[in-house]
Amino acid sequence: MKQQGTFTSFLGQRWAALFFVVELLFFSVLAGGFFSLNGIQIVLFYSTTLALLATAETLVIVTGGIDLSVGFVMGFASVVSAKLAVALSQRGASPETAVTLAIVLTLAIGLLPGLINGLLVARLKVPPFLATFSVQGITYGISLLFTQNGQASGVPNLANAIGNGYVLHFVAGRGFSLFTQPKVQFGTFSLDILPTMVVVTVIVIAVAAFLLKRTRFGQHTYAIGGNIDAAIRAGINTRRHLVAIYMISSFLATLSGIIYMLEYVTGKSDAGSSFMLDSVVAVVIGGASLFGGIGTVWRTLLGVLILSVLEMGLKMMGVQTFDKYIAVGIILIFAVLIDQFFPELVHKED
Amino acid sequence: MGDRVSARSHSGRAPSAGLSLLGRNWAFAFLLITLVVFSFTGKNFLAINNFQNIVHLATTGLLLACAETFVIITGGIDLSVGFVMGLSAVASSSTMQQLYAAHWSGPASVLVGLAVGMAAALASGLAAGILIARYRVPPFIATLGTQGIAIGVTYHICGGFPVWYLPPGLTDIGNAYVLYIHPASGAWSFFSRPAGIAANQVKELVRLVPVSFILIIVFLLVLWHLLRNTRFGQHTYAIGGSMDAAVRAGIDTRRHLVSIYVLSAALAGLAGLVDLFQSGTGNFTTFGAQLELFAIAAVIIGGASLFGGKGRVMASVVGVLLLKVLENGLNLSGVEPFYRYIAVGLILVVAVVIDQLFPDLF
Repeated sequence: MKQQGTFTSFLGQRWAALFFVVELLFFSVLAGGFFSLNGIQIVLFYSTTLALLATAETLVIVTGGIDLSVGFVMGFASVVSAKLAVALSQRGASPETAVTLAIVLTLAIGLLPGLINGLLVARLKVPPFLATFSVQGITYGISLLFTQNGQASGVPNLANAIGNGYVLHFVAGRGFSLFTQPKVQFGTFSLDILPTMVVVTVIVIAVAAFLLKRTRFGQHTYAIGGNIDAAIRAGINTRRHLVAIYMISSFLATLSGIIYMLEYVTGKSDAGSSFMLDSVVAVVIGGASLFGGIGTVWRTLLGVLILSVLEMGLKMMGVQTFDKYIAVGIILIFAVLIDQFFPELVHKED
Repeated sequence: MGDRVSARSHSGRAPSAGLSLLGRNWAFAFLLITLVVFSFTGKNFLAINNFQNIVHLATTGLLLACAETFVIITGGIDLSVGFVMGLSAVASSSTMQQLYAAHWSGPASVLVGLAVGMAAALASGLAAGILIARYRVPPFIATLGTQGIAIGVTYHICGGFPVWYLPPGLTDIGNAYVLYIHPASGAWSFFSRPAGIAANQVKELVRLVPVSFILIIVFLLVLWHLLRNTRFGQHTYAIGGSMDAAVRAGIDTRRHLVSIYVLSAALAGLAGLVDLFQSGTGNFTTFGAQLELFAIAAVIIGGASLFGGKGRVMASVVGVLLLKVLENGLNLSGVEPFYRYIAVGLILVVAVVIDQLFPDLF
C-alpha cells in the first residue's frame, strides 16, 4: 500500500465534512438570511424527518439489506397518528390526551411493517428489496384506504404547538422561558431557540448511534453485514437480529411520520415518497457500503445535512427547486470519484 | 458476495425435470393462476380487447424491465431508467413543438425530435457507463447521479408541465392496430380504419394486434437473442458471474459495461418515445412514479439476482406481465385503487414466500 501525504489522506477521509464546510461558506455568502440563528434552525428543522429515515436506512444497510418501505411507512404513520388524534378528540378526550395517546398508539402500530419486513427477510429468505417493496405498497394502500384522498386533517391545534414549538424563548428585558412562548408586544426583541422537534430528533439519533457503535447489538449488526455465514458460526442469532433491525427501522420511520404530522398538522399518505431515495443517498454520502458491514449513524447525519443545506440554501437563494436534483446528482458522482482517487483511505476491502 | 446470496436465497433448489417446461420460475406459474382467477372474477377480463390493452399499456414497462435485466445481470443497477424515459419524451416533444411552430413540416419535426430525444437518453447512458466502467463508481450511485441530472434537465425543458401542441397524428401511429375489420359490412384494412366506415361506426370495428405489440415483440426477440445467443450476451453473464474471471478471460469489461449502460438508456429513451406516441403529449416522469422500482421488481420476480450473473429477458417479461395483469385484473374485478396497492403487495409477498418455502413446487 502506498503511503500518502497527511493532507491528501485527510482530504480522502473527510471529503464529506470538507464539502459540508464549503457548502456552508458558499450559502452564508450567497444566500440571504442563511447565516443566522433562524436560517440554521430552519435547515435543522427541515432535516428532522429525513434524518430519522436515513438513520433507519443506515441500520438496515449496515446489515447488507435495504429498506424501501421507510418513505411510505412515514406517510402511513403520519396518517394513522392524525386519524387517531382526530378520532380521540371527537370522542371527548382533551387535546393533550388525544395527541399523546395517538402518538403512543402509532408508535406501537408502526412496529408492524418492520415486523413483517423482518420476518420476510430473516425467516422466509425473501430478498430485502422485494420484501420491503411489497410492504411499501401495502402500507401506501392502507394509508390511502384510511384517508380516501390521501390526506388526514383536523388534528387538534396542540399538535402545531408541539411540532412547531421551541425549547427556549428569550424576550429582551424579561429573560428566558421554557417551551411556552411568552406574549410580547409587537416590536419587542425576542428569540426562539432550539426547535423542540430538532431536540427530539437529536436525542433519538444519539441513542441509535450509541446502539450501533457501542453495544453488542451494534457489533452483531456489523458482523451480519460483513459476513452472514461467519456471524451464524459465531453464534449470533441472525434471524432474530434481522427482525429487530427491520423493526427499529420501521419504528424510526414511524417517528419521522409522527414528527411530520406534528409539524404540518396533517397526515399525508405520500409524505415520505421522495425521502426514500434521499435517505439512501444520505447513507451513501456518509460512506456506507450497500453490500453491508460499513457505515455509521454520525456520518449518515452528515450526508443528511449536506442534502438539507443544499436544498434550503438553494431555496433561500431563490433558485428553482428542481436544480437541487442536478446538484445532488453532481455531488454524488463527485463524492464517489474522490473515493476512487483515494481508495486505500476509504475502503478497507475491495 | 454472490455466493453468499445465492446460498441464502436459493439453497438446495433442485428443479424437477417434468415441470421445467412450464418455466423454471414460480412467476410464470403464478401468472397462469392469476389469468385463470381473473377470468372468473374480472368483468370482460377474458377478452381479446383486454389482453391487447394490457400489452399496449405494458410496452414502456417491458422496455424498462429489459433495460434493467441487462444491467442487473452484470451485477449493476440502473436507477435512472424512469427519469431518462421522461427526459427523452420531454426533449423530443419539446423539439417537435418548437420546430413545428417554426413552420417545419410535421414529419420533419417529428424525426428531428425523435433524434434529439434518443440523443439525450444516450448521453445519459454514456455518462453513467463511463463513470461505472472507467472510474469504478458503484452503479447505484452513478445512476442515481445521472437520475438527478436527468430530472433537473427535464424540468428545465418542460417547467413541470406536459409538452402540448405537437405535430398532429402521433397518436394515430402510436395507438394504431395492424388489422381493422368491420364485421357488419365485411370491410377490412391495415393500420387505419377502412374507407367508408364513418366515425360513429368505429365502435363496431374489430381491431386486432396493436402496433405497439409488434414493436415490443420485435424488440423482445432481438434482446432475447442478444442475451442468449451472442457473444455480447455471454460476456454480460460472465461479467456478472465474476468480474475478475471475466477480466482474466480477456473480455474488455470496461467497454462492455459502457455498452450495457448505453443500451439500458437507449431502451429507456425508446420507452419515452413510445409513451409520446401513445399519449400524444410529452410526459415528464413524476417523483411518485417509481418506474425504476417496478422495473427492478419485475426483473427480480423473474428470478434474477441483484448480485448479478442471473436473469433472462423472457423471465423479466413474465415479471412485468404479472404486475400488469394483477393491476388490470383487480381493476376489472371491481377492486378499488387503494386495495389494489395492498393486494399487489400481498400477492407478491405470498408468491415469493411460497417460492422460498417449496422450492420444488415450480
